[in-house]
Amino acid sequence: MKRIYTIILFFCFYFSVGQNKDEGISLSYENATIKEVLNTIEETTGYHFFYVDAWLGSELVSGNYDNAPINDILESVLKKTIVNFYIMDDDKIVLTRNTIIYDSLPKNYFGSPEDELAIDGGLQEAAPLFYEEESSSAQQNINTVRIGRENRNSNRQKFTISGQAINAKTGEAIQDLAIIVKETNFGTTTDTNGYYEMELSIGRNTIVTKALGFQDTELRAIVFNDGQLNFNLEESFEQLDEVILEGNRDRNIEEAITGVTLIDVEKIKSIPLVLGERDILKAAVTLPGISTAGEGSSGFNVRGGRTDQNLILLDNAVIYNPSHFFGIFSALNPFTSGTVNIYKGSIPSEYGGRLSSVFDISTKDGNSEKFSGEASLGPVTSNLMLEIPVVKGKSALIVGGRATYSDWILKSLDDESLNNSQASFYDFVAKYNHSINENNELKATGYFSKDAFSITSDSLYSYSNQLVSLKWDHKINEKNTASVILSNSEYKFNIEFDGDSDNDFDVGYKINETEFKLKLRNIGSGAHKFDYGVSTKLYVVDPGNIDPGSSESIITPLSIPREKGLESALFISDSYTVNDKLLIDAGLRYSFYAALGASTQRIYEENGPINSGTRTGTQDFDKNEFIKTYGGPEVRVSARYFLASDLSVKASYNNTFQYIHTLSNNTTVSPTDTWKLTDLNIKPQEANQISLGLYKNFEGNMYELSLEGYYKKSKNILDYKVGAQLLLNEAIETEVLQGEGKAYGVEFLIKKNEGRLNGWLGYTYSRTYIKLDSEFNEERVNNGDFFPSNYDKPHDLSIVANYKFTRRFSASANFVYQTGRPVTYPIGSYIFNNAEYVFYSDRNQFRIPDYYRLDLSFNMEGNHKIKKFAHSFWSFSVYNVLGRNNPYSVFFVTEDGELNAYQSSIFSIPIPTLTYNFKF
Amino acid sequence: MLKYNTFILMGLMLLNDACVEPIEPETVTFESAIVIDATITNELIQQQLFLSRTFTFEEDGPLAESNAVVKVASDQTEYLFEETTPGTYRSTVAFAAQPNISYQLLVTTSDGLSYISETEQLTNTTTIDELYVERVTNNNGVDGMAIFVDSFDPTGTSKHYRYEYEETYKIIAPKWKPLDLIPDPDPLNGCNVLVVRREREDRVCYTTDDSNSIILTNTNEFTEDRVSRFLVRFINRDNYILSHRYSILVKQYVQSSKAYTFFETLRDFSGSESLFSETQPGFLEGNISSTENPTEKVLGYFDVSSVSEKRVYFDYDVFYPGEPLPPYIVPCLESKPPLISQAGICILRPLVAGNLVRYFNTNDEPQPGEGPYVTVRRVCGDCTEIGSIVIPEFWEE
Repeated sequence: MKRIYTIILFFCFYFSVGQNKDEGISLSYENATIKEVLNTIEETTGYHFFYVDAWLGSELVSGNYDNAPINDILESVLKKTIVNFYIMDDDKIVLTRNTIIYDSLPKNYFGSPEDELAIDGGLQEAAPLFYEEESSSAQQNINTVRIGRENRNSNRQKFTISGQAINAKTGEAIQDLAIIVKETNFGTTTDTNGYYEMELSIGRNTIVTKALGFQDTELRAIVFNDGQLNFNLEESFEQLDEVILEGNRDRNIEEAITGVTLIDVEKIKSIPLVLGERDILKAAVTLPGISTAGEGSSGFNVRGGRTDQNLILLDNAVIYNPSHFFGIFSALNPFTSGTVNIYKGSIPSEYGGRLSSVFDISTKDGNSEKFSGEASLGPVTSNLMLEIPVVKGKSALIVGGRATYSDWILKSLDDESLNNSQASFYDFVAKYNHSINENNELKATGYFSKDAFSITSDSLYSYSNQLVSLKWDHKINEKNTASVILSNSEYKFNIEFDGDSDNDFDVGYKINETEFKLKLRNIGSGAHKFDYGVSTKLYVVDPGNIDPGSSESIITPLSIPREKGLESALFISDSYTVNDKLLIDAGLRYSFYAALGASTQRIYEENGPINSGTRTGTQDFDKNEFIKTYGGPEVRVSARYFLASDLSVKASYNNTFQYIHTLSNNTTVSPTDTWKLTDLNIKPQEANQISLGLYKNFEGNMYELSLEGYYKKSKNILDYKVGAQLLLNEAIETEVLQGEGKAYGVEFLIKKNEGRLNGWLGYTYSRTYIKLDSEFNEERVNNGDFFPSNYDKPHDLSIVANYKFTRRFSASANFVYQTGRPVTYPIGSYIFNNAEYVFYSDRNQFRIPDYYRLDLSFNMEGNHKIKKFAHSFWSFSVYNVLGRNNPYSVFFVTEDGELNAYQSSIFSIPIPTLTYNFKF
Repeated sequence: MLKYNTFILMGLMLLNDACVEPIEPETVTFESAIVIDATITNELIQQQLFLSRTFTFEEDGPLAESNAVVKVASDQTEYLFEETTPGTYRSTVAFAAQPNISYQLLVTTSDGLSYISETEQLTNTTTIDELYVERVTNNNGVDGMAIFVDSFDPTGTSKHYRYEYEETYKIIAPKWKPLDLIPDPDPLNGCNVLVVRREREDRVCYTTDDSNSIILTNTNEFTEDRVSRFLVRFINRDNYILSHRYSILVKQYVQSSKAYTFFETLRDFSGSESLFSETQPGFLEGNISSTENPTEKVLGYFDVSSVSEKRVYFDYDVFYPGEPLPPYIVPCLESKPPLISQAGICILRPLVAGNLVRYFNTNDEPQPGEGPYVTVRRVCGDCTEIGSIVIPEFWEE
């Protein structure tokens, strides 16, 4: 009975909408929310709507309809939103947002503000409700396809058609492709994997597809039965591989979490960078809240955090040192890198183990349809990336390799000091992705990077990062998905000394970690969305060994005993849509750390300073015995409230633990910094952060504005006694100090996402202090008062601007201004032992002069209208156009008994570079 | 190919660009602090120590800390020190530090502030086994003379070694002549100079320099407490001090671990550093503090170390037979200054009167603008500008 009823309704619907457009619903509303309108329609008609409240926003609409077709009404009501609708089973109306809510940023679809053509009017195009009749110029000849086998016994009038949309060039799935039936103006969009499902009437249907960056297509489908229809679409001409996802455009104001930054590689393509290297991490520092201690120093200071407080993940595995060549280049291949999500405010509960931030970097998925690649030639490095299909349409491999020829340049120089030095690096990355079926996907990444350099001819430094990660994504059912991640990372460095005498040596350091993580997601329960899981990580550190460098060497082999630690966590978070306006993201992580034996730990007097004199004894621990455990709950709560449809306020609180610390006696990160695990004498670092922000988008998301403030307190932050010996020191605790940190700041960012001129301006005012106090003189710095940290740079302004002259020519500029960083400057000099030395007093009481720099670049795209083997991209950039000699440090050297002062700077003159990139 | 050339050019620009340049430091704030430089050894001598104060970058040198009461107290006795020259204090009696006795330095300055060191004991005595020189090419490819030390402590307790040296070398003025120029005493001959016989010997001199860097080595990582082929000093073959005969006295101090760390940290602070990584500097605390104000910063160290010394001599022509001498301290160019300029101003006479030039020859055929004598810079004809003609007592030919 019910079935018949449905069928009858179906017919009614079919005729009323498809043919009798004048018959419909009478409705009148004024200043109502969309939700109210939909509720009214539900009450007065037989339609049922399916949607998520948050999509509708809080905009008020007015309208008056007499006997209007439902789609007219909906079109009008939803006009200002990015919501699509789809009428299903006659009476069910599914509202779909133009984009799905992503777990992560969709791969391969990167917005590119500089590509104006890809963006213009994108909002309307990507939310295709009504297809305009006139044919687009890109339209191809109309083909006819037949779907399904005709079944004479069936009297069904509607059939379900499903399929997948694939980028014909790359083989990647196309999401958010609008598939519209021209006759009825109804349609659907593809999901993240390019799949769609829709109902078509029996007989002839004209199907139109539209998506940004793809050629519009039109085909005739003659439908006889349920069946499959796949689309292989060509990218449109103006499209390189840059697509802006309108759905993400609201991310700024909509997400609950604060302090999150997304960078994608395509967007930074035209930022002028030093030596022609496109570099995601360097682009990150142009955004508020992220800075480096200086030009050419690796490591990031995020919201006043030390450089060891960032969890840098490449495809879920940790990279310990993501930089090459003293930080001038990042160790991430720009061609294979997809996106970076940087969490500097509230860190999602699935991440932990570092206090300040998470840099979640993902590698692109390879193109499973077609072999393609990209290469660049630059003055210092060359880079090659290849995408290799393995099983067509199912699996692909992406490989990228980069190497420098600077070593060769150094060797060919006349300058004696440079002649004796060498510096080389390379990195290699490979990722394999395999979609087993719709419910299972497997991804594997391998990465290796290595740097070698020597500053004097008798020593050679080298360091390397290596990681592998495996991820299995499984869709349990419609509402539940699971990911299993297994990763292993290793970082090591080595110093070889080969001098004239018999003290040649070889020093090594190594850290290895293995993590297992299970992450589950449930999206089913209405307003709630849960992410939960468990992770555990084993650290194995070989803190140092020294071996004789040659058979004549009289160096005694020494090995500092291995350290082990186990860090585990349980995490859960609920993204709870309380109502239209309020979204709460409440997360909790419980982390637990155990320092594991075998080990011998040193015991010190309870009420004394920690030094060799106060050592009272040692305690031995057996293999895998818990030496000491630490742990605690980590709260990660954030909330978003819409003050207006394009204005939101967000707040968050978050606390974090960190069980691993870098040991560095340098004011900037050097590659010989070692990582130390928390043990009996060294406590985990802890931080608490609150942040509050306002976010507004203007003019249809053309402008994005955000203002965020934060206050962060931390404790047990590591610092060092003056002149600490950190390498090959078993009793590290006698050299380090653990103090309190305090940081606060306001970050302002305005972005213009489209137009000929686009870019952003970021300004941060922030302060960072540290306090090293103790009742013992030797453990007190600056009288135990708070003092500015090495990277306390109150004012930080960055402007990045792109201007597109034509489709092929564009120019960009990058301007940076920062307060000079604090330095310890002498307060006099003195004569001792027949030589002059400087008298240093309190730490960081002075500042080097302010830093500013302007970079310009001019980019030219190859002509891509003509079918060519390769698509090329030339970039000519000048780094430090103003030739500002930005001091990096000021230091004092006693030479021949005399004191000399020096100022160092990295790039003090304009550096021009020409880079050639091509894709095939 | 063209492309590659461009790349290389850019690479060159990059590498030359990362730069370190000398600057004239400015004093931003200044804090005056006492500096105590005291090393007591096991040598039976009148021990000597130095007191001074810190000074600003704009000042030339330290202010001596004068009129202080200085004593070294041991378990049994107190040794008084008296000021010999400003800031230099010498024990009134000769004494040698003895093993297993604690020594402590006590200083009371003229303004009544007093300072006290921690107690220190004499370190183990290890003598220099061998001090020897070799002609080597160092790691940077530079030819020169290397002075090496070998030392061995069979008890394995010395471990921390610090070296000082005193080098003495013979200088021979390369353009010395037995004649000299003097201003003509007759005032009527306004710009004239006279040639006279030299009144003093100034062809051969001797200069002694003290080491001024912190030279350290340790045997912590070695299987035995053996210092072997430790390079105390390397002299570039082009250094004029090698020219004739050279002698070096090397003193080996065995230091306590704490004293060694102090010197090592001081050296690390003040050593040349890599451009990209900088050591965190800070106040380097020694073992002396103020008795009144524990937060007062006191610079320096009171070290009690055993010392052992050895001297070695060598001649240039033994290691560089038949090779040209290293260039002299300055290039000895000859000049023929006129007596009087065209404008009527005396030229040679003020140079002679100011002791700036020495006679080298007569200019027999003066060209226009030339004077009657060939002269050289003083140091080329008179070594007393950089040395003393007194042969050092220890000197052996």
